[in-house]
Formats: sequence, C-alpha cells, structure tokens
Amino acid sequence: MLSLFVPTKWMPVPARFGAVLWLSFLLAVVATGVFFSTIDPDVLQPCVPEFPEVSRTAAYTIGFFLFWLLTAASGVLAVAFTYPPASEHAYETPDVDD
Amino acid sequence: MLMTDPTPETPVAPSATDVEHSLYEKRQKIYPREVHGTFAALRTTAVLVLLGLFYGLPWLSWDGRQAVLFDLPARKFYIFGLTFWPQDFLLLTLLMMMGALSLFLFTALAGRVWCGYACPQTVWTEVFLWMERLVEGTRQQQMKLDQSPWSARKLRIKATKQLLWVSFSLWTGFAFVSFFTPATRLGHEVLTLGLGPWETFWILFYGFATYGNAGFMREQVCKYMCPYARFQSAMFDADTLIVSYDRTRGEPRGSRKVGHDPKTRGLGDCINCTMCVQVCPTGIDIRKGLQYECISCSACVDVCNDVMKKMGYAPDLISYTTQNALDGKPTRIVRPRTLIYAAILGVVASLFLYVLASREPLGLDVIRDRNQLFRERAGLIENVYTLKVLNLADHERSFRVSAAGIAGLQLAGVNGPVTVAAGGVQDVPVILRASESALPAPSSNVQFTLEAADDTSVRFTRKAKFLGPR
Repeated sequence: MLSLFVPTKWMPVPARFGAVLWLSFLLAVVATGVFFSTIDPDVLQPCVPEFPEVSRTAAYTIGFFLFWLLTAASGVLAVAFTYPPASEHAYETPDVDD
Repeated sequence: MLMTDPTPETPVAPSATDVEHSLYEKRQKIYPREVHGTFAALRTTAVLVLLGLFYGLPWLSWDGRQAVLFDLPARKFYIFGLTFWPQDFLLLTLLMMMGALSLFLFTALAGRVWCGYACPQTVWTEVFLWMERLVEGTRQQQMKLDQSPWSARKLRIKATKQLLWVSFSLWTGFAFVSFFTPATRLGHEVLTLGLGPWETFWILFYGFATYGNAGFMREQVCKYMCPYARFQSAMFDADTLIVSYDRTRGEPRGSRKVGHDPKTRGLGDCINCTMCVQVCPTGIDIRKGLQYECISCSACVDVCNDVMKKMGYAPDLISYTTQNALDGKPTRIVRPRTLIYAAILGVVASLFLYVLASREPLGLDVIRDRNQLFRERAGLIENVYTLKVLNLADHERSFRVSAAGIAGLQLAGVNGPVTVAAGGVQDVPVILRASESALPAPSSNVQFTLEAADDTSVRFTRKAKFLGPR
C-alpha cells in the first residue's frame, strides 16, 4: 500500500486520492440510482433486522455513502496495484516538478 | 497604437506568490479576461437559460403540485403531466443512453460544445467569474489585488466576494434539494429553521461542491477530473468543428504598428497581443494547436476577431472551423461516423417513445409473506402474499385481481374489486390455496393478474412463486 504514496510526475499524491474519490463518486451515483429504483428500502429493511428502521431519505443517503465507500475502496486498491512495490522506488528520485 | 510583446501581466510570468499549491500540480491561478462577441453572447445565453431552469423549475406548479419533483420518499417522479414510478426504470436508462449518444453525435459534429456551453462546471464557473469581476474588478485589478499585501481594503474585497460565493452556493444547494423536497415546503422549513437533518446535509453538500468546483477548482476539474475530456478525442475527425488558429496566415507572429503592411516586415497576421491566452478559462495558448484542455468556449475567437478588426485585418485568424476547412478541403457533415451515431440515437429515441407511449397505467408488486413459506390447512397448501396495487392513472380506479398457474388454484382474501386513489398504492393481503397433488414442483410459478374494472384492456400480470412441501 505504501506505493500509493509515491509521487509521480503526472499527479501528486493528494491528486491521486482526489481522482479516486471523484470517479468513485460518479459510479456511486449510478449504483445508488440503479439499486434504489429497483429495491424499495422499506421492503429491504425487514430482510435485515439488524439494520435500524430509518426513513427512505435516510436509507438513500446511507446507501449512497456505502456505495461510495465500496467504489472508492476498489479505486484505491486499483491505483495501489498500478504502481510497483514501494521498495523498487528506493533507487528512484521522486520526480515531482517538471 | 503600438501592440507590444507580452506584457508582464500575461500568465507566462509567474512570481513566487502566484504559484498556488493546489490539489493538482503547482497551479498558477488563471484570471480569464472578460470577453464580448458572438460566442460570448451565446455562452451568456446558455448560462441564463440553464441556470434559469435549475433555479426556476422547482417554483413552477402543475395541477396543484410542483411541476418537476423527484419525490424520493414516495418513490414517484413528477415531470409536468407525467408521473414516473420505479417500474419505469427502463425509461430512465433509455434517457441516459440518449444523453450519451447525443453527446457523441454533437461532439463528432461540433466538438466540445457540451464543455463550452452546457456543462454545469462551465456554467457555474462562469457565474462565479462574474461575481469575482463584480467585486474585484477587471483581470488586471484582480491580479494587482492578489499580489498586494494584506490590507483592510483587500480583506474587505475578498470577504465580500466570499460572502457572495457562499450565499450563491447555499442558494444552489437549496435549489438542488428543492427538486426532491417541494420548494415551497423547503423554503418554509428554511425560514422557520425547521430543516430536516438529511435536507440540511444535502443542501450543504451540494453547496460545498458548487463552491469548491466553480470557485476554487475551476478548469482543474476539466483538466484532471473529467472523464469526458479524456475520451472526447475519440469522437473527433477532420470534419469536426474545433477552435483553431490559422498558423499559415498568422506566422511569423510579431508586434507592429497599425497601418504597417506586415508583409514588408516579414510578419504574418498574428500581432502577438496574447489576448487569446488572457481570455482562456483553461489558460492555454491556442496558437500551439488543439490541446485537450481546450473546452471549445471560443472566447479566443471572439477576442481575436476584435483585435483583427482594430488592425483592419480579415477576421477568423482564430476560428471555430474544421481541420478540412483549414486545409482548404470541403467539410462533410454527413459521414459514416455521424450517420452511425444518429442511427443508434434514432433507434434508442424511438424505443424510448414507444415505451413511454405504451406504459400501462397500473402496476402490481407481489411480496411474499416472510414469516412462513407455506402452511397446510384443510388438506390444502396455503401461501400468503401482499399485493401492492398501483394506480398510475390520474383518476380513482377499481381493479379485479385473479390468479392462475396451478390446477384448481383458489384466491382468497379479496372480496370484489380493489379501489385505489389516483397515483396511489393499495396493499392487498391475499392467500393462494392449492392441493398438494396439483403442485408440479415444490416451487411453482403462479401469475397474478390485475384488470381495471372499467376497462378490461388495462391489465397487468406479475409472476410469483408458490411454495409447497418438498
């Protein structure tokens, strides 16, 4: 996971997380739309008795953030795996500026 | 009048204070110069129309309710005379496909018109720039202010701008939420400080996103965050309208006095006034050729045409044209690419209209009783269901319920037609009974059919499972 924090020329580290958060946000919006237009939270609630009984609006909001968490997690992992392991960078000088 | 070489205020001369450590690379703040002209007028019109719709639509009434309301708590979307239900999800999917295909078609024809005129990012950034100009003045005044040390005056100006920006963002958040909670009720809740927690959250969230994207991030969103900016070039070809600089005519560039014939001095038509760079909202130099940062706003076309007029030269040194036109070849609007995009768009649009027109004004959801799979009573197997009967018509209606699928199937629990109010949902608990010997399998298919009492052509069938012993 350390490789996530290795700076590159194209994108500084915070930007990498920014990109993941933003793109996963877009997909979470789509997922929330598809999920809740097919499944009514009021119907879903009794299936998961552990889940607190909340209003539909609350369920949509919580659902959206859960989807965002999921898509962001997969994005962060994908980004982490596109960089070589951190140890390989030991011989490279981080190239931040042009 | 002497047109000089780049003045110190052009963005090519950064000082240490200019360099802002932003989320992405060390970013120089871009101060787009105000521009007037054909494309600027077009963009202003687009901003006014689109934002007018966004802020105004929630206040429009239709049949005693908000004309456009996405009532998520009730799971109903109202768009003028139409009511949409979760069952109409296909329509939303088709609509999104039409949006994507239109984007492809318009990109192939006219380049990034979406980016330059219709994208919320552009539209809201434009408004934030107006507010900035209103408070901080022209481009030069803004840059002077930012370079000057902090003073009471600077603090006052910056605070006024932030106050405007934040209020506008909150208003934007309010407008966004009023597409989901009726605007009049939401307004009342704001005035009486009675906003619900989720409404408060979404107003702040959307307001913050507006402020962050249009006030702070601006062109960085297009450059680093926008997926469309990355793949739009796939829709481009030599017949696509792009903002382009006529290199053969413009080069070699250089300053000169009005009235001098550039040819005697070995110069092209570009006087190197850098106006095109100063007006660019993404801070690029279009004279370097088409770049992925270019959002086709055509501000440089407008400003360069002004300069050409002042110099007494022909317009369109920078123009909104195609590569083929630049090369002196004819531009084809009808070509395989546009035909294919248009054909697919046509098919999807026809499908959309067909689905919209053939919508049944009733709906039926079948929910199995979760407490027990089945029970045996008087030698028969019983399954319990709750039928959710939806009346999607705009008047009260009665429906007859029937069930079929198993020999000798009995329906109990409904006596006579079920009456449902306009746009209403009625829960109907029902029992199905069948003899064990008649069951083809431990889990058999049955169909519930709903039929309008006043019009037997209005009917709807929904499948369900009937469970029995293994």
